[in-house]
Amino acid sequence: MKLIRTNPFSINRVSDFDEWFRHPLAGLPSLSSFINNLGEVFPGVAGDKLAVDVHEDKDNYFASFEVPGVKKEDVKIELNNGLLTVAAEKREKDGEKESSFSLTRSVSVPDGVNAEAIAAKLEDGILTVTLPKQERSKPRSITLN
Amino acid sequence: MNTTCSPRTSTPATSGVTESLRKPLYNVNGNAEAYEVRVELPGVPKSGVKLDLDENILTVRGERSTNVPEGMKAIHRELSPLSYQLRLRLNTPVNEDQMTAKLEDGVLTVRLPLKEVAKPRQIPVL
Repeated sequence: MKLIRTNPFSINRVSDFDEWFRHPLAGLPSLSSFINNLGEVFPGVAGDKLAVDVHEDKDNYFASFEVPGVKKEDVKIELNNGLLTVAAEKREKDGEKESSFSLTRSVSVPDGVNAEAIAAKLEDGILTVTLPKQERSKPRSITLN
Repeated sequence: MNTTCSPRTSTPATSGVTESLRKPLYNVNGNAEAYEVRVELPGVPKSGVKLDLDENILTVRGERSTNVPEGMKAIHRELSPLSYQLRLRLNTPVNEDQMTAKLEDGVLTVRLPLKEVAKPRQIPVL
């Protein structure tokens, strides 16, 4: 079987980190360490890397991963020490032969995310992980004695 | 018998087309009965898929849904927002009426049954 595994997003990935720092929003302190690529530190260990988009609105961060052909039961999402890891097992059938390979990506989660309320959904080959922001602690005034 | 064939891919028409498209990942399998084309179209809903067979050119278009609602801003972008287009030239006559397609988990599978004339035949030796 001929397995085509080219990922258009893996080209130019070398400068991924640079690109991140060149981003206009990269300077924000809470975001500067948002993306952390395990694969760059330990190449080959993490499997093929998944491309990711990160968006935010007032209440949430959203991380979207492209996982065409991956079934819901073949996706694992783990949060460990502030690192969100997505692992997807992609199975391809070619007649009677079946092949599979894994795709992973780790993203470091910024401070102020409510880890308990992280949710994920899979739709049209896109996995979206919603990371709700914690309510900011209310300012309190300290009275001098 | 299971053969893998890679049909020639025609380049998208360049004249007068200004819209940016990208070629999706795909593979083609075939046997004595039909070709099966698998096209990866992540982010494309069922309503965004257009399939067209004109003479011997199969065109697959996938319109990505704009998945960025208002009030949301991008912090980091790697996924391309471009829509997909794939054009394949078929070198075998297929039965257009029995063509089927299904979209599942962002993968479009198109089945192109071969016409009788294109199927292998046994020729008896007299």
